[in-house]
Amino acid sequence: MFYRTSGQFKTSYTADMALFPVRQDAILLAIILAFAWVILPLTASEFAFQTLLIPILIYSLAAMGLNILTGYAGQLSLGTAAFMGVGAYACYKLVTIMPWMNPVVAILLSGVFSAGVGVAFGIPSLRIKGFYLAIATLAAQFFLVWLFEKWAWLYNYNASGAIQVPTLQMFGVTVAGPTASSHVQYYVVLGIVSLMTILCINLTRGTLGRTWKATRDMDIAAELIGINLMKSKLTAFAISSYIVGVSGALFVFMWRGAAEPNLFDIPLSFRILFIAIIGGLGSILGNYLGAILIVGLPVILNTLPETFGIPISSATVEHLNIMIVGALIVFFLIIEPHGLARLWALIREKLVIWPFPH
Amino acid sequence: MKLWKKLAAATALTVIAGGAMAEGLYAPNMAYRTGPFAALGIPLMNGQADYMTMLNERDGGVGGVPVDFSECETGYSTEKGVECYEKTKGTAIVTQPWSTGITLQVLPKTNVDEIPILAPGYGFSPMSEGGTFQWAYNPPASYWDGAYMIVSHIAGGDMSTLKGKKIAFLHLDHPFGKEPLPLLEQMAEEHGFELVPVPVGLKEMQNQSAQWLQIRRERPDNVIMWGWGAMNSAAIQEAVKTRYPMDQFYGVWWAGHDPDLAAVGEEGKGYKSISWSMPQPDSGLMADIKKYVIDTGKTQTTEDQLNSVFYQRGLVMSMMLAEGIKAAQEHTGNATIGPKDLRWGLENLNITDEKLAELGMEGMVPPFSTSCSNHTGHSGAWILEWDGAKFTQASDLLQADQSVIKSLAEAKAAEYADANAPWPVVECDS
Repeated sequence: MFYRTSGQFKTSYTADMALFPVRQDAILLAIILAFAWVILPLTASEFAFQTLLIPILIYSLAAMGLNILTGYAGQLSLGTAAFMGVGAYACYKLVTIMPWMNPVVAILLSGVFSAGVGVAFGIPSLRIKGFYLAIATLAAQFFLVWLFEKWAWLYNYNASGAIQVPTLQMFGVTVAGPTASSHVQYYVVLGIVSLMTILCINLTRGTLGRTWKATRDMDIAAELIGINLMKSKLTAFAISSYIVGVSGALFVFMWRGAAEPNLFDIPLSFRILFIAIIGGLGSILGNYLGAILIVGLPVILNTLPETFGIPISSATVEHLNIMIVGALIVFFLIIEPHGLARLWALIREKLVIWPFPH
Repeated sequence: MKLWKKLAAATALTVIAGGAMAEGLYAPNMAYRTGPFAALGIPLMNGQADYMTMLNERDGGVGGVPVDFSECETGYSTEKGVECYEKTKGTAIVTQPWSTGITLQVLPKTNVDEIPILAPGYGFSPMSEGGTFQWAYNPPASYWDGAYMIVSHIAGGDMSTLKGKKIAFLHLDHPFGKEPLPLLEQMAEEHGFELVPVPVGLKEMQNQSAQWLQIRRERPDNVIMWGWGAMNSAAIQEAVKTRYPMDQFYGVWWAGHDPDLAAVGEEGKGYKSISWSMPQPDSGLMADIKKYVIDTGKTQTTEDQLNSVFYQRGLVMSMMLAEGIKAAQEHTGNATIGPKDLRWGLENLNITDEKLAELGMEGMVPPFSTSCSNHTGHSGAWILEWDGAKFTQASDLLQADQSVIKSLAEAKAAEYADANAPWPVVECDS
């Protein structure tokens, strides 16, 4: 009904290859963008900004970075959090060494450092695959977190060993630090995440994306048809780590405000991997859906008993929350092992042919 | 796709609108009854909650206004802590962050949101500098006080005896564990003892064989432990296994949890922990707690917790908050106070011996007072010793030499203010 495609004729190849061959997709996206850019910022409370909107966007971006590597290029990585940490620490060093630097430029630049580290740890991927590669990236995870703890220069020799975001301004507006308003931070995050999303969509639809997918599906075949595996894998590591690094910088500078080394430890890596897997490997949309489920849902569930005035202790709520979210993850993976993005694709397909299923 | 998000935001909005149930004084506690540190958290949180319940039941609250001591569960996770902070900051008069990580994140926001942080016995030691940390309080003693007192107890009061000694510092490799290092390093240099820092990574908390191998090789005269959670019980068991003399083994106040020692029983005899609180099973307060809270069943506390060090420390913590509220009420003349008033109240705490007697808490905490230049109070502390079945008081009240600590605190506070510029700093008169 809503998705009836009859009457939408393609008269040129360009139209057929368009990002949204179906008009309703474009309309839906326009609505979502209107919500993200206008309606939510106007209506959301401070709580919604700090616990839902900003973290969901940042986690989506991190998962997107991982998805490039794992979902598109087929290289399993368990070191995402460490690469986020590289981005965060690089950004911290950039803004403390050069306080005049535009914070957004610093955040975008910090991804470069993370990309460099990512490529270095990606080199083993030329020789090893699958679980063995996962172990190599796990080494990155342990090594980098250890480095964040031990290399005092990284945190400017603070007694606490943690990094704390200084107050940063851009064109006279405070964008980071305790006095920054949530609106400004949200728009900075949204701007960067939107930019990266456009970048990712185009990359994965282009030549590079196709080489990655070929590498993922069967690397020997890919090599035989003339794909340079080294280039393919290392670009995947570089771009993935770049995006993850930027998300790490956003994570600390636009949201947390402070970070200890163990923040970037393996639980965060797993969390992002879960987002990518539950959202759907090899999709861009899935990262957002996964982040809403893993990051957003527990926050909402936590507030429910209070909203309805149910008197249960907050510890019990927490236990229930863990159970419900865990059960939902299992449930979604059973009904659609390829993730939420695939689930949405199936629903959309059904809607397109509704009410006459084959 | 983002319809979900819309729904989410809408739900959150209604929560904010409808969730602000300002019934009395809202003093939320960021509890951790779940997660890896729950075993330590539960008795502390129970003690805190029970004290407030007792006041509500016996006196109808503080100054006639009931205290809403709701808990917000964090599971000791920083992320949940921020969620709790955002959820409560609208109506809360105090933030009780309950973890170094959460304190770190909330600290810069306090100047903006103007809600005082009450971190009894934890958080940054330089928080004692009230001119710099106007909104943060860590009474009655800071980690630096604790480290100084342990060293002075080792020295038997005469620091010159430390010369040539070797002291191992077994600590969690985390902001919390590293906290006393600057002070200990300074003292080692000054008094000529050798300090051997032995870090324990967060991941290897429960397996310290490498660390204890190092300790056995180094043969230190004493071991000072700055541990938390599972690290303490693991360290105590390793110490027993490697036959390290227990009477040379000291822990910070968080390393004096009864069940950790009960697990080794007699073997742990002689283990010492510095503590600014002391359980007093026969105190007037405990009688009231039993009468109004335990017997009426308005609690989650179990009988065996009642006389543990951690439960009664929780009581002391809530006492400090309640006294802060009282001071603020007297100062403003209003029973319903706001966060700004409480900030004043916490800055003007005056816990004297008479006050403690009046509260039925004699001997539960040393007397102390706070001021603008002293947000800690520096109460001093006792050494508690494990006698094989329970902790007993093993020393008179120890005091840290503030002439040593003050200068270090001033330097570190100034450093913090510089690194976080623009940071508002006020001059203190007192």
